[in-house]
Amino acid sequence: MYKIISESEDKNKIKIINIDKNDLIEFMEDYKSKGYYLSSITGVDMQDHLEVIYHIHNYDTHEYIEVKILTTDDKVPSLTKLWKAAKGDEREQYDLMGIIFEGHENLRRIVLPDEWVGHPLRKSYDLKKVQYINMDSEGKEHVSYNENEGW
Amino acid sequence: MAHYTELNIGPIHPAVHGILKFKVKLQEEIIEDVEITLGFLHRNAEKICELNYYADNMVYFDRMDYIDAMNMELGYLTAVEKLMDMEVPERAQWIRMIMAELNRLAARLVGLGAFGLDMGMLTPFFHCFIEREKIQKIFVEASGGRQEVNYMSIGGVYQDFNDQIINDIREFLKEFKPYLEDIYGMFMHSEIFWQRNDGIGILEPDVALDYGVTGPLLRGSGIAYDVRKDAPYLFYDKVNFNIPISHKKDNMGRFILKVEEMRQSIRIIEQSIDKIPDGPYFNNKAKKSMMLRLKGDGEVFSRVESENGEFGVYVRGNGTFKPWRVHVRSPAFKNISVVPVMAKGMMIADLIVIIGSVDTVIGEIDR
Repeated sequence: MYKIISESEDKNKIKIINIDKNDLIEFMEDYKSKGYYLSSITGVDMQDHLEVIYHIHNYDTHEYIEVKILTTDDKVPSLTKLWKAAKGDEREQYDLMGIIFEGHENLRRIVLPDEWVGHPLRKSYDLKKVQYINMDSEGKEHVSYNENEGW
Repeated sequence: MAHYTELNIGPIHPAVHGILKFKVKLQEEIIEDVEITLGFLHRNAEKICELNYYADNMVYFDRMDYIDAMNMELGYLTAVEKLMDMEVPERAQWIRMIMAELNRLAARLVGLGAFGLDMGMLTPFFHCFIEREKIQKIFVEASGGRQEVNYMSIGGVYQDFNDQIINDIREFLKEFKPYLEDIYGMFMHSEIFWQRNDGIGILEPDVALDYGVTGPLLRGSGIAYDVRKDAPYLFYDKVNFNIPISHKKDNMGRFILKVEEMRQSIRIIEQSIDKIPDGPYFNNKAKKSMMLRLKGDGEVFSRVESENGEFGVYVRGNGTFKPWRVHVRSPAFKNISVVPVMAKGMMIADLIVIIGSVDTVIGEIDR
């Protein structure tokens, strides 16, 4: 049985439930059986750890709930087996925030090129280092930091 | 052994409504699988928002769903104002509501026009754009901008409504009501339009919910979900309007539903325009000199109904002038992910119509 660490409310009166990341699948399975659907996944970089926030929604009772877990090693379990909506959201959060969703079948970058270095939404990401994507004769992409390289 | 053909549609193709690539696996003319490649319009607005002051971010939200800019601004503002505990005067809230509904009409007109264009119907497109131009003239009068309006600001709106604008809106609605029926008739009296849409692009309600689809796509599958009724913001609980749904689940049902929603939008504007009270149009705490000195603390998730569905904005503040994290729950991102399911087993020509019916805006998907 999952354990709820604490409950609070955000400024829009949405209930926040803090749980441990090992309880996530069990918690979500329980809420799925109650008629909840996944609405969005947000990753927040708190510098010493990452927060992963799931918004779930019940269309019958109009209830919106925020579920929050913490991770220090960037890894969280994937929810793709529960809701298909998680597929795109998890890819997006992996791409931009660098959260690794364990169990996702196709965890690739979604908006940035496959070979991109770094995850831009991290606070430690260096914005001044410009990256250029080049393609070699075999069609493979490479990152270069030199503007004049490639075609 | 089955013989497959792989076909690339896009990234730059008039039928994909922006810059988006579809890799289609075909068996003769039947679609086996669709793979979507995103990111051609990616600007990472979420990161840019973290680098700016709260008030600066308005322009980036304008450029997400660029044909429905008012609702994008509204989504961001409802979140940020709650974060700052900022109150908005009643007059400003009514003005916002009118502008949001006008922009919804304008966005729908673009969507309907382009939908016809996808099937080679050129006439309704021009009629839609003539009407949209009138809405944009009202926007110019109020804000100075045609499409990227930047009209709303923290604590109110940029400029007050004067009698001229209110008269313009009243006149526009009077002309537009019969005009909408004309445009509707142009579509509905076309045999080709029926043949190409009836029974095409079927989306079952359980699939739609599983994929997190919202907006007309979800209502077209028979689920009456609209944020304006579900969690009313502004004064949507003080006006009468209905949430139309369709049980046809196909392109045709969604088209009829979108037109019915436009009639409901007109109803909302007609009721609200008589209810605008006198008073200030912005909160004095957020006047120009204070604009960049507004602090936000805590976290908030706020959602509004944009043309594509539930547009949610998550903002986390850390007590400084800049947000710590801004995340956007993009409805179009969810809606486009269901296209492979809808297109499976259909003909290749139907894919174009399905994309037109989903009516996505790439600026919002890629952000």
